[in-house]
Amino acid sequence: MDYVVNNINYRYSPDSRDVLKNVNFSIEKGKVTAIVGPSGCGKSTLVQIFSKVIPKLIGNGVLEGSFDVPEGTFVSVVSQTPENQLFGYGVEDAIAFGMENLGLPQEEVVERMEYVLDLLNLQYLRNRSVANLSGGQRQSVCIASVLAMDPDILIMDEPVSSLDPNGKKMVQNILGQLSVNGNTVVLVDNNLVWSAGIVDHVIGLLDGEVVFDGTRDEFFKDFELQEKLGVIIPQEVELYRELSKHFDDMELFYTIEEARVQIDKKITKKEFTAPVPAAAGSENIISVHNLVKTFNDGFHALIDVNTNLPKGQVIAVLGQNGSGKTTFVKHLNGLHKPTSGDVRYMGNSILKKTVAQISKNIILVFQHPEHMLFEETVERELTFCARMQDVEFTPEQITEVLEHYHLEKERETFPLNLSMGQKHMLTILSVLFSSADVIILDEPTLGMDGFLIKDLERMIANLRDQGKTVIMISHEIPLVFRTVDYSVILNQGEKVFEGTKEELSRRSDIFDAINISLPPVVRLSQEYGFDKVCFNVADFAEEMLKRCNR
Amino acid sequence: MDYLKYVDADSLLHRLDPRTKFAFFVVMAILTSVVKSGVALLFLFLFFIAMWCACRIQKYMVVLAQKLKVLLLFIFLLWFVLGLFERPVVEGGPIFFETVIPFVGGQTINFCFDWYDFYKGAVYAMRIFLMISSFYTVLLTTNFSEIILGLQKWHVPYSIAFAIGLVFQIIPMIITELQAIMEAQSSRGLEIEECGAWTKIKNYVTFSLPLLFRVISKAQAISLAMHYYQLDFSVRRSAYKGIKASKYDAWFLIANAIAIVITIVLRMYFYIPV
Repeated sequence: MDYVVNNINYRYSPDSRDVLKNVNFSIEKGKVTAIVGPSGCGKSTLVQIFSKVIPKLIGNGVLEGSFDVPEGTFVSVVSQTPENQLFGYGVEDAIAFGMENLGLPQEEVVERMEYVLDLLNLQYLRNRSVANLSGGQRQSVCIASVLAMDPDILIMDEPVSSLDPNGKKMVQNILGQLSVNGNTVVLVDNNLVWSAGIVDHVIGLLDGEVVFDGTRDEFFKDFELQEKLGVIIPQEVELYRELSKHFDDMELFYTIEEARVQIDKKITKKEFTAPVPAAAGSENIISVHNLVKTFNDGFHALIDVNTNLPKGQVIAVLGQNGSGKTTFVKHLNGLHKPTSGDVRYMGNSILKKTVAQISKNIILVFQHPEHMLFEETVERELTFCARMQDVEFTPEQITEVLEHYHLEKERETFPLNLSMGQKHMLTILSVLFSSADVIILDEPTLGMDGFLIKDLERMIANLRDQGKTVIMISHEIPLVFRTVDYSVILNQGEKVFEGTKEELSRRSDIFDAINISLPPVVRLSQEYGFDKVCFNVADFAEEMLKRCNR
Repeated sequence: MDYLKYVDADSLLHRLDPRTKFAFFVVMAILTSVVKSGVALLFLFLFFIAMWCACRIQKYMVVLAQKLKVLLLFIFLLWFVLGLFERPVVEGGPIFFETVIPFVGGQTINFCFDWYDFYKGAVYAMRIFLMISSFYTVLLTTNFSEIILGLQKWHVPYSIAFAIGLVFQIIPMIITELQAIMEAQSSRGLEIEECGAWTKIKNYVTFSLPLLFRVISKAQAISLAMHYYQLDFSVRRSAYKGIKASKYDAWFLIANAIAIVITIVLRMYFYIPV
């Protein structure tokens, strides 16, 4: 028997609006169901109802309808922040915590511990402390700890939102394992890039209403709906969407291997011979000389890094977690002082300046917006940098920015009440009013849905058009290739590459070394010998049509 | 450098039963409260240094001393200044300067700058440092899971033991959050380095708001996680791991017993009232 969501309506207080309206669907036993929809569509509320947080912990709302499950059904949740969910110092302590709460006999706890560690291939972590795990490992342990309690339904709430590519792969493998094992999993995530090949069933929510209930294939064929929900889809599916506009017989594909099968039916492979376009000459805005950072505990975070960052371009700093990216950019704005070496802005060393002084030229937007927001309204938050730096602004400018980025309605809202993506966008928007001409964005897409990511891409393009330099740390590699001009790659504290996007696209060896995949369109355009490397699906489709003489 | 949190290592102190370490802290707290002899406290300090070095945690204690230097200096100066208005209780030491200052109503104040002022300040600062460092020694070498297990073995209700363990889990998180907030705000142009004391205080008040919201949001996330893990203090829990005293506990207790006896003997023979 399936688990049935039976006509649920919910509002957080008797006089507020409904956040869920007549929600009906079934969760199939032993399948992976994805619930997708833009920020604020009611996904999180639904999770709270499934897990009985509503009405057990949040009891002041009005809940109508029911979640019909057999008596004693146990639902547990893996949240997007495992550091807030894991109780216990060691991995074994954390995994045992839930089982101990259930009062299971010690022998059974030991048995289940071995089972989940084997199932998820986590034996190698069992004697580690939770604090020393990477993001992906921590999330995996979190899944293991919940799984050890043997839940009937396992809900994963944006489980990879803050993970690097390695971490995503790790959780992706675990989700695949759970799917094969027949566990009932509900995935609540508007980013289907990592899970597209695994989910069986998709529920689309918009403004609290179910607007889609069907199979994965049906969902990925409904382009209009994907757009409407702001779902982030794999580039392979984006490519299918674009190509199917021109080729009627194109079959849906989710992976690069499946894409090759379809493309092979249309064109043949050729040797890729396109020369690397000459880099546009540009003066350097920041130069880094022999930068070394060794922390007090002896950890070498940066090892003799030399780089010249060109003015007026969008620059990506890439690498796995722990490669030194954040340490590197924190040297550019003075938050870290080097052990040795120098950082120069327009030829002048910044080492003797304070962070606030440097921020007039180089400003850093942090990964977690909650660290940056502390004004009482969105409007005041937007102008924070300008006020700190005595930069003049007009009310018209504020209105223009708020309207342009769909925040006009939130002008007087307390910033922390915004959705995660909106909060992040607000912190980025606030630097538009600063005097800085170098803007550093650390993981700017964190928590953003497809709509906000498009806004962000447009904003970055605008900044470049205004002559500003944007430095971006991001794990979203297709986005990086769509937006940047230049890149620096770090691996274990050392710079392993510096150059233009075109040069980078030809260095698959570097991507292999840092264990990150090149975007599918970049790989395929080279494999099929197109006249140029393609960085987005529209260009790929255009090149393919050229080859088909269309 | 890690601060105010457990340090993962494999030293004698790490291997001890948490209950032994709790007892060590309680005894040392009592001892440093009652012993006011400079010589006895100096011996205890040397014993502590030997223990830290043997367990290779001395560098963390240096960090602690650095963090406490303002507090210790304040305590030293407080007792030093108070000592300036009294003569030494024992004769024999050097007196650097002494005078009588006239005061209102024909009264006088005796001002005496002597060795005893330094002694008194040093004894009080030493007592506070030893008390805090004994607690810190336990904190550095006992992770919060062990703290909970140890307290449970002492028949402390699980709800209280869990709450205490949670505090030790959360403190490092809050320190990290505050650091991140300060960095984020200075990155957006808030001057926190080259500013006066008043501005610094104002900045800390400013930082407290986002910190408060972060702590509230963490507390909410933790309470949700407790729900997901079906934590119910009214239900009897089972235990995956147990704790048991070993030969290391015996050695540690013997070494401490000897140190305590020597401290008391030194206190009896070298006591200068303060």
